[in-house]
Amino acid sequence: MQAFEKYRSLRLLDSLQFLRGIGVTLEVTLLSIAIGTFIGIILGIIRCSKNKAVSSLPLIYIEPLRNSPLVTQLFLVYYGIPMITNWMPSAFTCAVLTLSLNTGAFFAVLVNNSIKAIPQGQWEAGYALGHGKTSVFIHFIVPQAFRLLIPQAVTLYIGQLQCSSYVALISLIDLTKTGETISLRTMMPFVCWGIVFALYFIISFPLSKLAQYLEKKNEFAY
Amino acid sequence: MIEVKNITKSFGDLTVLKNFTVNFKEEGVTVILGPSGTGKSTLLRCINGLENIDSGDILVDGLSVNDKKNLRHIRLNCGMVFQQTVLFPHLDVMHNMTVSPIKLLKLSKKEAEERAEFYLNKVGLISKKKSRHNELSGGEQQRIAIARALMMNPKALLLDEVTSALDPEMSSEVLNILEKLAADGVCMLAVTHEMSFAKKVASRILFLDKGSLVCDEPVERFFRETRNENERISRFLNFIGE
Repeated sequence: MQAFEKYRSLRLLDSLQFLRGIGVTLEVTLLSIAIGTFIGIILGIIRCSKNKAVSSLPLIYIEPLRNSPLVTQLFLVYYGIPMITNWMPSAFTCAVLTLSLNTGAFFAVLVNNSIKAIPQGQWEAGYALGHGKTSVFIHFIVPQAFRLLIPQAVTLYIGQLQCSSYVALISLIDLTKTGETISLRTMMPFVCWGIVFALYFIISFPLSKLAQYLEKKNEFAY
Repeated sequence: MIEVKNITKSFGDLTVLKNFTVNFKEEGVTVILGPSGTGKSTLLRCINGLENIDSGDILVDGLSVNDKKNLRHIRLNCGMVFQQTVLFPHLDVMHNMTVSPIKLLKLSKKEAEERAEFYLNKVGLISKKKSRHNELSGGEQQRIAIARALMMNPKALLLDEVTSALDPEMSSEVLNILEKLAADGVCMLAVTHEMSFAKKVASRILFLDKGSLVCDEPVERFFRETRNENERISRFLNFIGE
């Protein structure tokens, strides 16, 4: 009986489990943010093309991913890939792949909106000085669009960090899954989920403050 | 220097310039007058290659604006200042002035800054070299935009109603600068409704109406004789209280 009580109680080892969970959560989030940002930048720039056929092309990728739940995308990748290919990716790979594609779709929209938010007059002022399209884009549009993009991007990243908790549903032992496992073992759901809640908050809150700070810092009027 | 050859420019069904022909030499100040919507600004934008022309051709130093490869040379030779000031908001005044000469004219940073200080002195704003655009008044921004255009050593300055968005005090700041530049021999092609500026500085007046050139005359003759001879011009000048 004593052994069972000991088994049920929270131990020092559990804190290491939580730390490992945070590690997995951060690993999945950071990798998918990096890949998703790269995808988003490329597609966002293609979306700005004046050629309608070219600018519409990324929508084939963006719209389905923006208009379906992340959980279904996760299941589609996790259960679907082994069905249609001979490849059996790990839960970690599926999590990173799905979150990257999802981040890429949302990031592409942010990039596109930030570039389009720069007034046409800024392009023309650059052209009138003798710059070509690429030069105007690099020297005048990108720095301004970047300022608009940064706070929105940080907000998206915070969202993706929180959405990464869905990866627990495909058995990846992230922070949420760790909380669930320990909670079931200890029968102390309030304490365990409280710890998970606090840990997500500790990671997210400074980021949301950073977003607010960047938003304020980058305010400029035309 | 600039030959506008029989150009037509339409926006949808609206023809703004119809078979328009005119030449500009590399000297003096030409003021372009006419009621709103007659194609004055469009003419300047076509010369600078900011608008594609439907037919005809514009040659700057013998190079056609229809050939995209020539646009850089044309724009370097025809500096343009817009009605709404467009400074780059992410750069301070000095960087607004120097980024293009460094990138396009391959000036060193030091040379570009020296040139910027020269032109900032000319427009009386050397003390604002570290300011951002939102720390400047409308008139100051416009003077910086003029100085920035001059940084590229253009053969002509195209001025598109540069004072129309400014209050009278700021307008006079800008006009004083333009008068000084004209006295220094800077060639200008200005769309404006500032008649006092036209009388004082211009050597030639073009009057446009409905996309066509109504008159092209020396300034003295325009204000002394043509205004009495041409009913349309007389009506326009009376309307703006001239």
